[in-house]
Amino acid sequence: MLVPALFSPPIVFGKAIQFRHRLSIYSDGRNGGLKHPEGIACGDSAGLVVADSGNGRLLRYVFEKNALNPAATVFEVPQLVYPVKIEISAKGDMYVLDGRQRRIIRLGSDGSFRGYLEPQGVPGGNRHVPRSFSLGADDKIYILDILSERVLVLNPDGGYVKQVDFPEKFGFFSDLTVDDRGNILIVDSIDNMLFSARDTAARVSPLTSALKQYMRYPAGITTDARGRIYLVDRNGGQVVILGQDGSYLSRQSTFGWKEGHLNFPAQACINEQNEVFIADTLNSRVQIFQIIE
Amino acid sequence: MNTSNLIPRLLMTIAAALVGLSLVAVRAWSQDGLRLKPGAKGELCLKCHADFDKILKKSSVHPLLKKGDCSGCHTPHTSDHAGLLATGITKLCSSCHQAVVPEKPKSAHQIVYQGNCKKCHDSHASDNPFLLAKAGNALCLECHPDISEIVQKAAFKHDPLRKENGCLNCHAPHASPEQRFLLKDAPPALCKNCHKTGEPDFARKHMNFPVSESSCTSCHDPHGSASRSILLANTHTSVRDGKCMDCHLAPEPQAPPRTKRQGIELCRECHQKMVDEAMGKNRLHWPLAARRGCLSCHAPHGAKKEKLLSGPIAAVCGECHADTLKLQQWSIRNPKNEDLCEPVKTGNCIVCHAPHASDNVLLFSQPSINSGLCGRCHNWNTHSTHPLGDKVIDQRNPNLTLDCLSCHKSCGTGNKPSMLHYATTYELCVQCHTERTR
Repeated sequence: MLVPALFSPPIVFGKAIQFRHRLSIYSDGRNGGLKHPEGIACGDSAGLVVADSGNGRLLRYVFEKNALNPAATVFEVPQLVYPVKIEISAKGDMYVLDGRQRRIIRLGSDGSFRGYLEPQGVPGGNRHVPRSFSLGADDKIYILDILSERVLVLNPDGGYVKQVDFPEKFGFFSDLTVDDRGNILIVDSIDNMLFSARDTAARVSPLTSALKQYMRYPAGITTDARGRIYLVDRNGGQVVILGQDGSYLSRQSTFGWKEGHLNFPAQACINEQNEVFIADTLNSRVQIFQIIE
Repeated sequence: MNTSNLIPRLLMTIAAALVGLSLVAVRAWSQDGLRLKPGAKGELCLKCHADFDKILKKSSVHPLLKKGDCSGCHTPHTSDHAGLLATGITKLCSSCHQAVVPEKPKSAHQIVYQGNCKKCHDSHASDNPFLLAKAGNALCLECHPDISEIVQKAAFKHDPLRKENGCLNCHAPHASPEQRFLLKDAPPALCKNCHKTGEPDFARKHMNFPVSESSCTSCHDPHGSASRSILLANTHTSVRDGKCMDCHLAPEPQAPPRTKRQGIELCRECHQKMVDEAMGKNRLHWPLAARRGCLSCHAPHGAKKEKLLSGPIAAVCGECHADTLKLQQWSIRNPKNEDLCEPVKTGNCIVCHAPHASDNVLLFSQPSINSGLCGRCHNWNTHSTHPLGDKVIDQRNPNLTLDCLSCHKSCGTGNKPSMLHYATTYELCVQCHTERTR
């Protein structure tokens, strides 16, 4: 029987990169299980912060002597209803996208509410719908505004810096990230494409062609210190790794329930130890992998 | 003599001879030099095939038959094809009629694409022009029952359907080089062949909105309708009532129509309850909040489908979720899936998913998989002796309980039986019962 291309095995070329499963996190350490986590952020000093979406809270795990302390600090913020994406600033502040309110909320490193992120001085008005956001190296905030079809770039205080327009043709943009060089990378879930914009570009343009042979519905994106791009394939239960130029490198994990498998994964982050943290949403857990080269 | 040149030349000569032979193969039987009896190309055939006397009297006769050249299509002795045809019907017809399909057409009639010319044409003779098997629209409508139903039921029919040529006034029968749906031209250019957009009456009927360059089929059904203006079966109430200004700013000459607001904010003016309810859920179907808003799935003026959906549900969802649609269609074709879940079989995604927003994962319309979703059609309590339910912890994961989706995949699983995640029961069971692994 012919197998549709959608499910055909990948052609692996380039340097092999593999994930080795290290650990799965199931609870807050106090017998409170995770429920459908969608967001995750990792920072050296800040530790690991999980958007435990189904429980409407944030969990912070810290590393002690290179080991994860399973007892998490729980942040339950009244203003935060349904966290779906989280980023940590250089100062340790937490920026969280609330899926219900569709607003970005700023929290201190201690979980204290610092206010809603309100863009200031945006030409043509402040109407925007953040589907996702990312923090640049200088803590600039990049908002994926699906209402006005642009990336809004703001100062840490919310002041308007610039906007980068969406291209004329695209499917649906689900997530964006900013690499160390300030390049914006956006994932198109429908066309299975990657778009990018250099720091000086006024408009986003395609970085890759459609990558349908490698993935089903990529909805999350992050990069590592070497600029490699990691696409979280939500429907495919896998992570697809691309080179800086968008060339295919490999894909890791697969759909399933066993440890190391993924079921509807959402956000991923990578720390300086080359560890990948993935919010494994429908498995209601966080999975940690070591990148092996 | 240089033998190294001789072999390639010999091979080339043989190849050229083979190509030449194949080119003449189809019409080999009509070539002279075989000491054929007079009339061997056709007249002789009619001595036995007496029924052709009647056929030849029809008003439209295939030119080859008319000149008595049966061997133009048939071989006299043997053939691998029915009716002693010289080759398959696709190749046979297209060997003379290749021009009926342009190169790389935008749309092509499926039966032309399949080479099933006989579906519409009688290969020998007919009393209809172009050897057509039936006259008028009847030929088209017998294969297009959905259009046939609209035409039959329509109190107000589109004039071209009643005129000579019927469907072919707007559609090309074989292929269209530039247009979808075999259209001869794209609306509004096609429509403007008959409808004079510059006349005052046209402007009055369209509330003075400059619609002459808009797509007419976004409001009108070109096959007919219950309304005098042949509006689509499902029409936005504002359009039906001629209240364009409910949504649009006052028309400006030569400027395209503009809406009062952008995206969902415009629709919210009337559909406030629905919009507010959706916006208050944890998980929003994000396209709803994007620039196109509701128009990602709905047509603003009118549609053939209920709730102004821009197409059948599976097609609308599949526009973005092509991977899931592919899985569903693959599952439908899988013979092992006799008990395929009805909503999957019919592509009715919204039986399980809330199209606008939900508090549940995967935009499920119910929080409970067992009793809420699957339980509406399946009695899961008697389905299996296997423990199931909110109190039964999944052995693989302390945060999960066993529900229908622990074993089955709700949108189908391609080539696997009974919508199971795995190809065999064994593979499925040992996911949890690892001690049973062989």
